[in-house]
Amino acid sequence: MTVVRIAGLSIGLLVSALASADVTHTAVNREAYAQPFAGLDEGQLERFFRGRSLFRQAWVVAPSRDEAVDGLGPLYNRVSCIACHPKNGRGQAPQQGEAMRSLLLRLSVPGRDAHGGPKPHPVYGDQLNDQGVPGVPGEGRAHVYWQEHAVPLGDGETVMLRTPRVELRELAYGPLDGVLTSARVGSPVFGLGLLEAIEASTLQAMAAEAKPDGVTGRVNQVWSVERQRAEAGRFGLKANQPDLRQQIAHAMLGDLGITSTLAPEQNCTPAQQACAQAPHGGEPELDAMQLGDLHFYLAHLAVPARRQQAEPAVVQGKKLFAAIGCTACHRPELVTGTHPLYPALSQQRIAPYTDLLLHDMGEGLADGREDFLANGREWRTPALWGLGLGERINPGSGYLHDGRARTLEEAIVWHGGEAQVARQRYVTLGAKERAAIRAFLESL
Amino acid sequence: MCRCNCWLAGLLLAFSGLLSAAPQSVVVMTSYPEEVMTRVEDGFAQAHPEYRVQVLWRQGFDALPYLLQARQGGVDVYWAPSPGNFTRLAKAGSWQPLGISLEGLPAQIGGLALRDQKNLYQATELAGYGFAINTASLAELGVPTPKDWPDLLDARLRGRVALPDPGRVGFAPVLLDIVLRAYGWERGWALWSELAGQARLVTRGGTLVSDEVTSGRAAVGLSIDFFVASAKANGEPVDFVYPAHGGLNPAFIAITASTQAPAGARAFARYVLSDAGQALLADADIRKLPVRPSVYAQLPAQYHDPFVAAGHGAYDYGNGSSRERLALISSLFTQWLGLPHEALNELWTRLHAAEAAGHDVAAIRQLLTAPPLTAGQAEAKPLLGLFAARQDKGMAHEPATDQDALGRTEITWQFQAALQRAEAARLLEGLGQ
Repeated sequence: MTVVRIAGLSIGLLVSALASADVTHTAVNREAYAQPFAGLDEGQLERFFRGRSLFRQAWVVAPSRDEAVDGLGPLYNRVSCIACHPKNGRGQAPQQGEAMRSLLLRLSVPGRDAHGGPKPHPVYGDQLNDQGVPGVPGEGRAHVYWQEHAVPLGDGETVMLRTPRVELRELAYGPLDGVLTSARVGSPVFGLGLLEAIEASTLQAMAAEAKPDGVTGRVNQVWSVERQRAEAGRFGLKANQPDLRQQIAHAMLGDLGITSTLAPEQNCTPAQQACAQAPHGGEPELDAMQLGDLHFYLAHLAVPARRQQAEPAVVQGKKLFAAIGCTACHRPELVTGTHPLYPALSQQRIAPYTDLLLHDMGEGLADGREDFLANGREWRTPALWGLGLGERINPGSGYLHDGRARTLEEAIVWHGGEAQVARQRYVTLGAKERAAIRAFLESL
Repeated sequence: MCRCNCWLAGLLLAFSGLLSAAPQSVVVMTSYPEEVMTRVEDGFAQAHPEYRVQVLWRQGFDALPYLLQARQGGVDVYWAPSPGNFTRLAKAGSWQPLGISLEGLPAQIGGLALRDQKNLYQATELAGYGFAINTASLAELGVPTPKDWPDLLDARLRGRVALPDPGRVGFAPVLLDIVLRAYGWERGWALWSELAGQARLVTRGGTLVSDEVTSGRAAVGLSIDFFVASAKANGEPVDFVYPAHGGLNPAFIAITASTQAPAGARAFARYVLSDAGQALLADADIRKLPVRPSVYAQLPAQYHDPFVAAGHGAYDYGNGSSRERLALISSLFTQWLGLPHEALNELWTRLHAAEAAGHDVAAIRQLLTAPPLTAGQAEAKPLLGLFAARQDKGMAHEPATDQDALGRTEITWQFQAALQRAEAARLLEGLGQ
């Protein structure tokens, strides 16, 4: 309880000193996840647009005359960042039997790497790359099959949940013996700079708070390549990256095969000789300025402002959301600390509806794959801001780490583990109350 | 609540597919963005599950040498809005006949050919040039919607027109060419000088012109239509005007002479040109113009139909200019109007002030609008040959240098333009401006 009081006090003291940068915007169209912070000057806007161009850039197979953007692969999933984050939003889970598109498959074998992270598969590495540049076979294809089952709600209604079954085909480098897999779809990319600006001490304080309903939450401790030490994790579905630059570098290498100063080695395992011998696009392929521009862009993507806040259903839903225990993890308010690079991100009161902590989400959502301190049942609480515009911007993209939930209700009902009590309260509510909670979520 | 061990089920499935038969690969080289390729790949996969598209992405200037290498780099289909590449590669024997039915696809729109005479390549869609406008900003300025290029010279638009720099934005050289062909060399360049003299140069392509207009920083932006139409379809406050003297840029598709997958390549070309493939072009994130006229009946209301517009003479511009000609006019813009843009802007401001004060400024206008190269000189083969010999690096230009003949020519243009500006400044000073 002492910790709660201290955290509350800290927030209270900070409120008077909060900066006034406008980190939200009121656009509600399909470009609502792509708006810059208001108040960027011309130079900052130029940098923002440079980063945006890179985020949308289709990367080119080396060698090429287009030297600034060559070096795709040798093994990769898609040719651009925007492919897995369409319109800066959520990727699309495959339909029945379809191959992966903006869904990727993490791979590992039991054990840990030198820094405590997942141990890559010795032949296929840490991610299934279905594409290869000419002369380099793609690693294989992951097809998703959905199996449905009905879950009764308290008032007699039922909700159909679907579970993915991943089938691997066309494996080009031999069997995937003993592999652990985890399917994921791309996450929205706005507001990330604000999450980066949250102090590690704030995360630790939230983790230490006593919480109701058996909710705990802990900070992942992950390896910082830049600072060569263990730090609080905050990005990635299991909070396995300490900061945005490393998250970008990791995704550029894993998804596109683009090296950078933070991920300088090509994504070829010793068994993949054609991959190792393929031409590269420079060392590194994403230079320091490009990495900086991407960081600036993603750090300054503004958050959609809430809408319909005064509507009775939304007001009621907000109260119910807190009352049934959702806000224990989906924190309605955080205050950022001092961002080391970008002042506009510092000392901002934000409403991300996340605590960035790892929580046990139960067996139903478990991927059975450890990631630093995260065990196979733990996931980082995803931010909910901007959620209500998702269906407009990325129709049919679904929710949860692999896009299995087609509706907000399905996503809620999938919750288990530490969220089991809150989930149980939700399913026992009447249809009107459940609709109010969904109306609130759609106002975010 | 699912209590099953779902992740374990996923793990066990890892062994299942070693022997599955793979669809046949069709390698498509393109410069189209993700939104286009994703939808076309998905549509093609549904229509033809026996084939799988592998995309090789390259800009036009980079695709050309790739397709000229041995076995054409394994490419089966080239599909891109780079008409010059198709012509050059046809001359190099890089294509085989398309070998698919072209029924229902016109061979011509206005002055623009939609396929070559041997049916080696065929247009698949069109993009129109024109004006992105912010209706609210124009209303605030009291400026009517511009209908054609001279309307952009309205003094109230000073500083509020976004002009893509032809030296740095890929689609912009054709904008220059449309005006030069429509109004002639002298009158066309006069328009460009005056417009550049009161416009903001935008140095990055893509959606940036549309961003300028959407944000209200510019009231009008010169653009290619799909950036703007897509932004509008996604809810942004922007509109697009096709000018009376318009132009179209075609994308073509061709099958490589050395393809090892001719049936798959033909299936892909057939799909892109089919009703289903053509209808995809109206997706909110694509917004290109189909080449199959019958498809327009199923497109959203107000969708621009270039076949109708061509009937009114809007597309007499044939887009037949060579790469060398486009490189020349782009360089001329850069040396004469782009590099000294700030000084030019100041001179035009002073000239307009003098004009408003009732002074005779005809001589000064002549100094600012006469290009440092005549129409005849621009047609000279030796000069065009210098541009042909310069390696195309897309928009990554080196500054002009006196180490080569072309650089020395460009420096001469810079010098002559500087002399004309100096004389114009002297005359304006004499008028008290």
